[in-house]
Amino acid sequence: MTLFGWLFMAISWTLIIALLVFCFSRVLREKEEDL
Amino acid sequence: MVEKLKHETWGSKLGIILAVAGSAVGLGNFLRFPVQAANNGGGAFMIPYFISLFLIGIPLMWIEWAIGRYGGVHGHTTAPGMFHRLWDNRLGKYFGVIGIFGPMVIFIYYVYIESWLLGYSFYSLTGVLTDIPDKESMAKFLSAYQGQEINAYFQSPAPAYLFFLITILLNITIIFRGVRRGIESLCKIAMPMLFLAAVILVIRVVTLDPPYPDKPDWNILNGFGYLWNPDFSALLNAKTWLAAAGQVFFTLSVGIGVILTYASYLKRGDDIALSGLTAASTNEFAEVILGGSIVIPLAFAFFGPVDMKEVASSGAFNLGFVSMPFIFSKISLGALFSFLWFFLLFLAGLTSSISLIEPAVAFVRDDFQVDRKKAAAIMGAIAFILCQPAIFFLGHGVVDELDFWGGTFCLVLFGTIEAILFSWAFGIDRAWEEIHHGAQLNIPKIYKWIIKYVTPVLLLIILGTWIVQQGLSTIMMENVKDGDAPYVFGTRIGLMALFVALAVLVRIWHKKTFKGGADK
Repeated sequence: MTLFGWLFMAISWTLIIALLVFCFSRVLREKEEDL
Repeated sequence: MVEKLKHETWGSKLGIILAVAGSAVGLGNFLRFPVQAANNGGGAFMIPYFISLFLIGIPLMWIEWAIGRYGGVHGHTTAPGMFHRLWDNRLGKYFGVIGIFGPMVIFIYYVYIESWLLGYSFYSLTGVLTDIPDKESMAKFLSAYQGQEINAYFQSPAPAYLFFLITILLNITIIFRGVRRGIESLCKIAMPMLFLAAVILVIRVVTLDPPYPDKPDWNILNGFGYLWNPDFSALLNAKTWLAAAGQVFFTLSVGIGVILTYASYLKRGDDIALSGLTAASTNEFAEVILGGSIVIPLAFAFFGPVDMKEVASSGAFNLGFVSMPFIFSKISLGALFSFLWFFLLFLAGLTSSISLIEPAVAFVRDDFQVDRKKAAAIMGAIAFILCQPAIFFLGHGVVDELDFWGGTFCLVLFGTIEAILFSWAFGIDRAWEEIHHGAQLNIPKIYKWIIKYVTPVLLLIILGTWIVQQGLSTIMMENVKDGDAPYVFGTRIGLMALFVALAVLVRIWHKKTFKGGADK
């Protein structure tokens, strides 16, 4: 795996995990508020 | 006067997010995405992929959630009624027929393929699959299982048919139980199980030593390199951009009509902006991170850089049903990992297939006021009959024909129509307000411009390019073998009859519901 390979994988994974964590943290927080 | 059936609703926000994510996460996440990426520039593929995700996929997701909730508030659970509300034109409801027809056609062959996954899960657990000595024998096993040939593995397609019966009965039973007790309950159990199985497989893959000590370069890390090392020259090829846009479009379950129906079970004040984005990001996690970390790295370690090209271009079925079980037969606890692989794909398939039949059931239930149990039984029986040609004429191009019309043409066409209707016929100001009603997320204002101009234009470009590049030759049956022509033509006639029958039902529903011109 080249340096660029690592770079593209790291950026893609970071972007998706960040989006997922952002979304679920908001969803679960709202759910707690509902309770 | 007959009392109107109660409008069904979701039990929780997490329930609908997992249901929509379940509909989106399918075989394509684990088989189609990694192959598309590896064959179209590797890491560089992710540039057009993310651009397409943010300019086509996510906007279309919001559009469908918004149309669905808007329709549900007005008592519509399927596209004909929703489009009729969006666009005050007699054609609107007929465009909406695609939103019932398309998913039903996909269901016809998808449920059969899903049943193979159940069958392969069983043969994995019993050790039959891992006892098969080589790839050629694995291909023979698949061929005999499908009923394409008779050999030492299977003398008839009866086992495959038994697994098909179990699978379709399971689908209908879930739909029969309704939105909360059926779809939502299943997705709340199946989605975490699916993710757990995928994570276990990823851990097994990344901890695997090179399988051949004399070939240390055939390893998992170089397998990741095969997928992620960027080839920037691919970005100069229009094919790469179209492949990325197509992958994003197909992976999110947009353009089918199922999200419209699922979102119609929301209440007026429920959020759609955050929920839509959450469902999309869940799908992306399953696709890019989990899907990208299993098949290609594993296949590279076992087949090496030269044969890998052939494996990657041999098609998703060959990769999933021949190469993967062969690899599992070569590793310790292979039967268990083979079972996990097929069972995770089966769960991904099940949560998708129930969403495909739901619009047709919702149409019968809500537009003709038929009790859900009866509606599920009626549509289940019709779907069962329609599945038979796909099963018994599998080798004659029937499934390819169904996939072309239901799984490709209708998707792109329907996505384009709904994007235009929502932002232009309904009006972008109302559309923007509709997306933001009850929203727990402020969507950047630039998306108002993207939804109005960029998404519809890109969809029209994809539709036009796709018709020129692939559509016309398929419509003209140029690549159909002579012996298969009657089967393909017969399938086409059957699909036309199904579309016309649905259009007639929509007309009957419209006359019954809006008699006296009381349209709005």
